[in-house]
Amino acid sequence: MTRADPAAIVLDRVSASYDGRPALEDVSFQVPQGDFAALIGPNGAGKSTILRLLLGLLHPTSGRVEVFGHPPGRDERPIGYVPQKVVIPRGFPITVLDVALMGRTGILGPGRRPGARDRELAMASLALVGLADDAARRFQDLSGGQQQRVLIARALCSEPRLLLLDEPTAGLDSGARARFYSLVCQLQHGQGLTLLCATHDLDVVGEHADALILLDRVVLAQGNPDEVLTGSTLARAYSFPKAHAHLHGAGGAP
Amino acid sequence: MSEFLAYTFVQRALAVGILLAVTCAVLSFFVVLKRMSFVGVGLSHAALGGVALGVVLGVPPLLAAALFTIGVAWVIGWMRGRSEVSEDTAIGVFFPTAMALGVVLISLSPTYRQDLMAYLFGNILSVRQGEVLPLAALSAMSLGLIGWWFKELLFAGVDEEAAQAAGVPVRPLRFLLLTLLAVTIVASVRLVGIVLVSAFLVIPAATGQALARSLKGMLVLAVASSVASVVLGLWLSWAWDIPSGAAIVLSSAVLFFAALALGSRQNT
Repeated sequence: MTRADPAAIVLDRVSASYDGRPALEDVSFQVPQGDFAALIGPNGAGKSTILRLLLGLLHPTSGRVEVFGHPPGRDERPIGYVPQKVVIPRGFPITVLDVALMGRTGILGPGRRPGARDRELAMASLALVGLADDAARRFQDLSGGQQQRVLIARALCSEPRLLLLDEPTAGLDSGARARFYSLVCQLQHGQGLTLLCATHDLDVVGEHADALILLDRVVLAQGNPDEVLTGSTLARAYSFPKAHAHLHGAGGAP
Repeated sequence: MSEFLAYTFVQRALAVGILLAVTCAVLSFFVVLKRMSFVGVGLSHAALGGVALGVVLGVPPLLAAALFTIGVAWVIGWMRGRSEVSEDTAIGVFFPTAMALGVVLISLSPTYRQDLMAYLFGNILSVRQGEVLPLAALSAMSLGLIGWWFKELLFAGVDEEAAQAAGVPVRPLRFLLLTLLAVTIVASVRLVGIVLVSAFLVIPAATGQALARSLKGMLVLAVASSVASVVLGLWLSWAWDIPSGAAIVLSSAVLFFAALALGSRQNT
């Protein structure tokens, strides 16, 4: 990697903890620009911790974190963040467009209302996820899969070059899950985005991702899906019998 | 009606009431969005403890109540996600205790005994001349701050984590909202009373939500219904000689149920 073209994400011997309780130990990996990398591992493995480090919401106790060659939060382009779920109180009239426009908040800064250009960007982002016709609908009237696509549109609205997704398909059925990831891949290639996704969807991610990072406080394995999704490494991470690991993990889609 | 408007104390109560109605309506938008109605109940009850402390210490009761309630609000904000006791449980234990303490202290103090009803349920006569301008300034400041940070408050209200990731100062804004709630509750105590002011921080937004199809529509309807219920409530309070807080809350409840009926007819 040359100086002019740094990796999108660099973690170099990073440790982190919450209230003295270690969450990550000596974690190192890189994600090249334009790649789709997935963070996998059991609950409590530190997947969300890595996302929080990259967003600058948590500081490492030791080691180096870089986003496009800068410390987190210093890159001139914002990071798009897609959470697991957004729950809006019943009956609250927040529309799909309202949610997408929230993606402009950080760029506009306080005291400024979204203008015509922000609306255009929001509509364009909704069009990218196939929901332009639903802009005026209430967010909570959408299906779970559609809501996740709106959250992607919201992230895209800030014109990021890196998207961080935190278990974005939890609670979706397998059809919606597959559609979600094919959309994500389409965006990766169409928009030149770098993607880092924390997930439990080993099979779907194994099919789409360029690289997997298997985590359990430390990096247990990293590389392309075929290298990582082997019975023995998965069994180590998830502590289940090897045969079962094969069935769920490396099995994947035909 | 013209006879009603001829009294200076009525004009004063109306001026203050309309200002507070607008501020409460805008705050109620966020109370409903963030499901904070219990925080409103708790803070208003704590305010009575503050009033009592003022009485005992010889400090103006409303000033003491404002400082005490802001302090309590900050404790809640600080406690979030830190304590072994859930926020909900802490509010349920701590605030009624502050209120009970307040009732005891006020009851023991002979001069303030007759004022207790006014603090609990509001009294149209209790708004003083010197209070109109400070309350107007307070309302203007609250509305200005909410207006300036509106989309940030909205984003944080919907999705704290993503807002924080986008650089929204989520934690300071949480304290801002709690402070504005505390101050507005104390400012509304004379008119609406401690027992009922929390309703005034929920019902306007609920009314707006029942009819509106957009956030702007919801805000406009919340403010309009809130102002209407204050005017109607104060008139009823004057005409029937009933506590103004009860009259205002009943008026706003009537508007809410009307909106609910109208809204469900629209949807079918």
